[in-house]
Amino acid sequence: MSVVFKPDETFRGEFTYSNSVAAIRRFPLPFAEDNYMYSVNIEPHAPGPKGSVTEFAFDVDEHYVAECKERALVLAAEPLRYQALPHMMSSQWDCLELVMESLSHDYPQLFSLERRSNAWHWINRPLGLDQRFTFGDVASLPCEPLDYATRQAQGDFVVMDQRDGDLWAEAGMVTTQADWSMDFDLGMTFREWHGPVPLAHEMQVFDRALKFLLNLRLGAPVRRLNWTMTVHPRLDTSPENYPKWGQDRARVTAKDAGDLVHLRVELQGLWRLPRSNAIVFGIRCYLISVRELATVPKWARRVHRVLKGLHPALVDYKGLTRYRDAVVEWLAPFDDGAPTTPGAGPE
Amino acid sequence: MLITGIKSKPIYAPLRFDEGGRYHLMLGLGVGREPLRRVLDEVRDQQALAVARTEVLYVPAAGDTGKATDQFALPGLAAVCLFGNSNALLEDFRARLGRSLMGTRLYVAGPESFIGMAMKVALDFNLNKDEIRAEECGTLARRVRCIHCRAITEDVKTNIAQCIGCGLWLLVRDHYSRRLAAYMGVMADAEAPGELPEIREVFL
Amino acid sequence: MSGGQTIEVVVKAIEQVTPLIKHFQLASPRGEALPAFSGGSHVIVVMRGEARVHRNPYSLLSAPQNLDSYEIAVRRMDESRGGSHFMHDRLRVGSQLEIAHPVNLFGLDKIARKHLMIAGGIGITPFLAQLEDLHGGLVPYELHYSVRSAEHAAFLARLQAREQEHVHIYYDSENQVIDFEGLLSKQPLGTHVYVCGPAGFIGRVLDAARGCGWSPSHVHWEQFSAPPTGDVFQVQLARSMKKIVVPQDSTLLEAIEAAGVDVPYLCRGGVCGFCQSKVIECDGELLHYDHFLSDAEKAGGKTIMPCVSRARANHLVLDL
Repeated sequence: MSVVFKPDETFRGEFTYSNSVAAIRRFPLPFAEDNYMYSVNIEPHAPGPKGSVTEFAFDVDEHYVAECKERALVLAAEPLRYQALPHMMSSQWDCLELVMESLSHDYPQLFSLERRSNAWHWINRPLGLDQRFTFGDVASLPCEPLDYATRQAQGDFVVMDQRDGDLWAEAGMVTTQADWSMDFDLGMTFREWHGPVPLAHEMQVFDRALKFLLNLRLGAPVRRLNWTMTVHPRLDTSPENYPKWGQDRARVTAKDAGDLVHLRVELQGLWRLPRSNAIVFGIRCYLISVRELATVPKWARRVHRVLKGLHPALVDYKGLTRYRDAVVEWLAPFDDGAPTTPGAGPE
Repeated sequence: MLITGIKSKPIYAPLRFDEGGRYHLMLGLGVGREPLRRVLDEVRDQQALAVARTEVLYVPAAGDTGKATDQFALPGLAAVCLFGNSNALLEDFRARLGRSLMGTRLYVAGPESFIGMAMKVALDFNLNKDEIRAEECGTLARRVRCIHCRAITEDVKTNIAQCIGCGLWLLVRDHYSRRLAAYMGVMADAEAPGELPEIREVFL
Repeated sequence: MSGGQTIEVVVKAIEQVTPLIKHFQLASPRGEALPAFSGGSHVIVVMRGEARVHRNPYSLLSAPQNLDSYEIAVRRMDESRGGSHFMHDRLRVGSQLEIAHPVNLFGLDKIARKHLMIAGGIGITPFLAQLEDLHGGLVPYELHYSVRSAEHAAFLARLQAREQEHVHIYYDSENQVIDFEGLLSKQPLGTHVYVCGPAGFIGRVLDAARGCGWSPSHVHWEQFSAPPTGDVFQVQLARSMKKIVVPQDSTLLEAIEAAGVDVPYLCRGGVCGFCQSKVIECDGELLHYDHFLSDAEKAGGKTIMPCVSRARANHLVLDL
């Protein structure tokens, strides 16, 4: 698929973000059934079908340039949205290698990486960057390696150190998050970091996930989908900026829910890193308006049913309390009660 | 948004002596004296060597002018040091950790804000959870970090509190960071400005 | 194949470094860089002998910065189940091998304030790679290496090339022994100790650490001992509907693999818990040799680590 970027779309202000018909068709709907509850839904991050969001390690889509611009805006205003503790430097280089190797291998027309021993030459054509640097030498880059690499990638990245039988969130680039803060959570264990998630602890979801991840193997990454909803196509729904976006939640009505409310899906990928033995947790955010979603009849029925039957604790946790009913009402006319086919695909 | 029942909130247990340790460093503030005395009773029953390898650092409650020997009546302790406030104690504690050897166990008794600050120092010396025991007693007042401006408001007793940094009214969540020794405070009326829930004293 | 896809390598050099230890250099047949790794990692080497397939773990001892080749060292075991003999007797320069991606179950703690490394004999290998990671860093470290004699000390030159204040060598032949108690009783707070060597050696260090009041989270050990041999026993694999016989000198895991059934594994040493398998029925006794299951789990008889554990039973059914 040759990507046509939409460099001028925005995730703030006028919110000009939208999905093309092709982008809607490949949207990673996280609902394989008409209802939803947590599960340890981890699967190998193996290449998916051609053109799908899982075809490559990191999906580069039509929003790439605009998302990188949005990240730069967030960082300019709040530099602490990127953080790394000092002992995470080797994992930073691991991440840089993973991102650059993957992008240049999977999208050779967009990115190129030449390595002569430690002398590296990176070209990012969509962003117009050309950087020569020495792998392992921080001074040869304009900023720290994790910062540098993830400014040129879509989605958030959290790097977890492994020690004492736990995973510690100790570095990260987090500017497109669903209401959690890297700045506050830095240094937390896996369970502490996921502390605010309701129900899942009681279901031992995190105990099992942690046990699995501690043994995650090099060269065998895994992935899972998670979701929530956001008013406007706003990538930066950070708690830091809650005063800016909190009121949006109270504004939704059954009339405008289709345009205002967006399904927010996270494609989460986890990789073991070679030099540091750390794990990088990539959280790639996909946004789609309820109206765009409803252009696929099966999805309109499915999302209507999932939202209607959602567990009250999840409604609260995902911040849907004020507008869930409005979205359900907006979607109701699209749901004729006909059965949906199994699986999440658009049919 | 989950306010209570968050799993990052520390869980404390009554202090017990750790026989696996070789050196024992005990920290107390105010009513934290009682748990420490209880542990020292256990130390008394150990060999004399354990007593000689136990140090106590303590901040007496305001108005308590008792001498060190009155506070902890166990002869043979390596040290009993009294401090006028917790900052002075923590400074001494940091210096002591710098001289301490592997095999040291840490015991902390007092309000959570005191435990949190002591743990934060211990973290700098790579003390892990199997080397630290803590018992919470005294006030439940919290250190709250504003997620918006990063300022820390001390001694918060209410479910909603005004940030000393930016002045926003913050909802105090159970989400706790050991690195910051603080709970998260999030703007309470972000979705409906001016609509504050009832302010109640809940952390007493 | 478990452990992800394997990497093809060719033996580039072999050197007899001591009377019992051979040193192998493994490289990509096409001259490509091998995957990066961290100090303390091991690889599983797959040896396809005529009678059977051996899969033995060996620590990578080469510098993690050098990915042109991996280096491993193999000690010839007296009662080898065949793996070390295969490596010593059958491999030539140019021989082809398969290895699994490196796995690190013995990594250095990244926030340690000091690293104390203790090696016995062939247990020196993981530390050689870790020394490369530490070299030039800010965290203090010491290596204490106990070995039979200078003649048996592998990689002496590499160690002696390091700053002397970091490396201490003790020769049995000169009655030099490491004073574990003395060493462990004077370490600054935040030190981590790492020990690799024979089982008895590791046991003495662990005992000394406990005696000096060390908490378990600061104590790390790794041991690659040959899994125990034992009496022949029969196993039924319920899901794959196979009945297999585990020979005396073969592990349960090897016998299952030989029957064409895949079980995920990482360490093949009873430590990581990856190959844990459910026991459906057992009319006899499970012989647990692993370090992963709790005593209660071992007594419960519902689960087994096939990489090291065996059974004395007439009827054993596993959920595989």
